[in-house]
Amino acid sequence: MLTRARGCLLGLAAGDALGRPAENLAPEEIARRWGRLTEIEPGKGGTDDTEYTLFAASLLCRYGAAMTPADVAREYREQIIPGIDGPMRGAGFSELGAIQALRRGLAPPLSGLWHPHGWSDGLAMRAAPYGIFAAGRPAEAARLVAVDGVVSNSGEGVYGGQAVAAAVAVAMTGAAPGEVVRAGIAAVPEDSWTSRNLRAAVEAVATGSVERLYAAVVVRHYPWTDLAPEAVALAFAGYLMGAGEVEESVVSAANLGRDADTTAAIAGALAGAGRGEAAVPERWAAEIGPATGRCLPVVAGRHVLDAATDLVAASGKAA
Amino acid sequence: MSSGDRIRGAFVGLAIGDAAGWPAARHRSTLLAPWSRRLERELDAFAEEHRVTTLPVPFSLNQPVEPLAIGPSDDAEWLAWTALTIHEDRAEAFGRLAERSDLRVRISVRSALDNLAAGKRPPASGHDNPHFFDDAAAIRAVAFGAAGADPRADASVTNAGDGVHAAAAMAAAIAELVAGGPMPSAVEAALAELPEDTAIGHMTRTALAVAREAGDPFAAVPALDAALLDHVYSYGVAAAQTVAAALALAEVSAGALSAAVPAAACLPSLADSAPALAGALTGAHTGYQALPEGWCAAARTLVGCGIPDLAGTDLIDIAGGLA
Repeated sequence: MLTRARGCLLGLAAGDALGRPAENLAPEEIARRWGRLTEIEPGKGGTDDTEYTLFAASLLCRYGAAMTPADVAREYREQIIPGIDGPMRGAGFSELGAIQALRRGLAPPLSGLWHPHGWSDGLAMRAAPYGIFAAGRPAEAARLVAVDGVVSNSGEGVYGGQAVAAAVAVAMTGAAPGEVVRAGIAAVPEDSWTSRNLRAAVEAVATGSVERLYAAVVVRHYPWTDLAPEAVALAFAGYLMGAGEVEESVVSAANLGRDADTTAAIAGALAGAGRGEAAVPERWAAEIGPATGRCLPVVAGRHVLDAATDLVAASGKAA
Repeated sequence: MSSGDRIRGAFVGLAIGDAAGWPAARHRSTLLAPWSRRLERELDAFAEEHRVTTLPVPFSLNQPVEPLAIGPSDDAEWLAWTALTIHEDRAEAFGRLAERSDLRVRISVRSALDNLAAGKRPPASGHDNPHFFDDAAAIRAVAFGAAGADPRADASVTNAGDGVHAAAAMAAAIAELVAGGPMPSAVEAALAELPEDTAIGHMTRTALAVAREAGDPFAAVPALDAALLDHVYSYGVAAAQTVAAALALAEVSAGALSAAVPAAACLPSLADSAPALAGALTGAHTGYQALPEGWCAAARTLVGCGIPDLAGTDLIDIAGGLA
């Protein structure tokens, strides 16, 4: 349990750091620059994905299964909003939109609905701790992540978070990648964009064609890449392409481009939960230090491995 | 006044609002050669690099100047297309568009056409869509409201959620006005289609409250900006914002286009469609005969900047087909 939890968040942080320079690039451009992107840029670390994940983990440790959307909104108001001094580095549309909504006094679920970025992958990127906390219980993981999710997201953005949290919860049992992905799909309504994209991604990966994967899940005529149905589908595809091995899953996701830091982070969380801490390449683990707080000052100094250990303790207490 | 005059008022009022917003000139400039717009982009970069505040406007070096005169753009064309195809199955009508490469369309419509081409049917074509919440269907819904028809099947091809609620609200308001109802009844009819627990339901009620508080449309502009916009996103097409602003300005102007449309055009983020929606509502309220003559003359003829084969089409003829 502990090694899977630590592998999950270390894999997430490594994916975030590996994918960071490939964000918003097409696979062809990634190939042109790096051939195949396999090495973390030394000394650069991760982005908002890791820092918001640390924040979500701290919420779970504080509130556990009894957490409510009002608790999460209060934590945003007390922990995040006062620390914003000038630009909000690295924050996605859904977090910025939610913070503007909270600043004007709106409460969840309106805070996640009021802005048009409900579909953002901002929840999916921080969903892994819910799967660790509710290891082996995908329905509970999906329920809990939505408690956090409705503060900043709505609709498909919440579904994206639920698919990731449920899949991590099953990966934490050591299940095979196919079973993990099925658990993610089962956590969201069948008649949803997320479900349709995840099923299409599974089919496309089976054909081995990146072109088919792109045709099936990437929105071609849209300039932003943070759509949860797209990002979660690419992340799961990377995880399947890597057969659940940490390095291969993370590298596969990162080299698919689009929201590459987030997709590689999610693939890393799934694979790391399945294979454990020791399966994360040492050269990557060496690049993962305490968070800088560049995106979220409140998590500065926190290390993903400590957050994972605390989550397991909190989960044990709850059980 | 006849319902036919009110339908003409809705159509030409929408075109006037469409023409009044600043994006119209950019849409119309697509009729010029591509290098002409590339030069404009380069001048924009020049202003940035040289730190000069003299910003470029659409211009016409060695090109015909007519497209840059004040006139209607994409929204008026989509209204006309909708009226011309209103009796057809909506997925089939859009399916024909999916085969074309000469159109310029909103992101919601582009994504829906891609979905249709890939075999995805409505409502998934409108739901699996990054801009499901935009006002493309709300613009088209003016035709359905004028015809007394349900806009939802049409809206669901390109939109979902707030985008479909917005279409239902616009159609209900236009239908009420075409039947001779007063503007407050039209706004009530729109509100009945906007559940309070949606973004568009919340924002429309907020917009009405702040506009009433401000007292007149122009006075309401800063309050609407503050109440509706967080300025976080790169596009201002969310129906929750544009339809809310249009309904609020139409009501607080007491249905006068000459008051509602200029106020809507003063909200730069929403100026692509809020003025058009406000123009449709107020035009349907007063009827065509009451609209400013100079604006009618400038706005009634389409140029084909979004749908090329509609170039030269007179909106009065199109509206006559529904009256």
